[in-house]
Amino acid sequence: MKRKQLIAIIAVLLLTVGATYGYLEFNRGVAGTASMPVQEKVTAGALLADFQADEAAANQRYVGTTEQVVEVSGTIRAMEPLGTGITNVVLETGDDLAGIVCEFPDKEVPAHWRAGADVTIKGICTGLLMDVVLVRCVAVVNK
Amino acid sequence: MKTLGHLIIALAIAPATLSAQERFATRNGHINFFSSTSVENIEADNNKVTSVFDASTGAVEFAALIKAFEFEKALMQEHFNENYMESNTHPKANFKGKVSGFSAADAGKAGSYSVDVAGDLTIHGVTKPLTTKATFVVNADGTIKATSDFSVRPEDHGITIPGVVRKNIAEQIKVTVDLTYARM
Repeated sequence: MKRKQLIAIIAVLLLTVGATYGYLEFNRGVAGTASMPVQEKVTAGALLADFQADEAAANQRYVGTTEQVVEVSGTIRAMEPLGTGITNVVLETGDDLAGIVCEFPDKEVPAHWRAGADVTIKGICTGLLMDVVLVRCVAVVNK
Repeated sequence: MKTLGHLIIALAIAPATLSAQERFATRNGHINFFSSTSVENIEADNNKVTSVFDASTGAVEFAALIKAFEFEKALMQEHFNENYMESNTHPKANFKGKVSGFSAADAGKAGSYSVDVAGDLTIHGVTKPLTTKATFVVNADGTIKATSDFSVRPEDHGITIPGVVRKNIAEQIKVTVDLTYARM
């Protein structure tokens, strides 16, 4: 009897652990960019140049098969608050028609950032449209 | 999707037979898609849709990066990219078509216009014709807010949904497009 009780308890515990894991995994929110490891570090100009030279290769390197964080450094060309809780920080690339567009939640944009400032940004690279697009961006604060 | 980039460049350097006031573009268009079933609701937003519209010809194109669709739940986003959209192979969705019922003259007059849009929608590498209605609101500052909604069947674009989860995803996915164009 004692052995059967022990097996039953272990089975219930395993089911509980499994069900809890399944519930947490199903409801897992997207990872915060700040806590994710950086896969690539690159300047804004080089990032655009790589996409323009070979988009497929650049997708493999910077977008990856799963979400990956790219750290981009450059000079702010423009700050574009959209009024929807999102601000685009556009980095200069040397190409007038294309930049690196970094989408920030408004609260993640440092208050002192202005056009012309040299900055470093981490974000999830999603590819090239008119510009190279990074989403879920955060500022890298140099210590 | 170099076509859209080339269109932008071509429009930018086109001879002055076209007034610059007739060309509009946005880099921050919004697309939402929503699937509702008795099992669960699935929803995602993309705020980085690019689009170009030429009011003199009615030509319109938009493009969206699949990986820029953001979900509340990480598992949904992963399944969407890896299993359904196969976004490593098909990183973009795009639409190329024509707007009718809106002229270059309308682009200079504030007001609301009901228009028809017809063209080709490419998702997951499969192109299908799409016709829908849209509303163009010309604002006093010269911008044009374009909104439209339509439905898409995943299977029409070669998206295979396993039988075990078929009831979790609606037969028709509701897509809402919301773009604010500025003059180029």
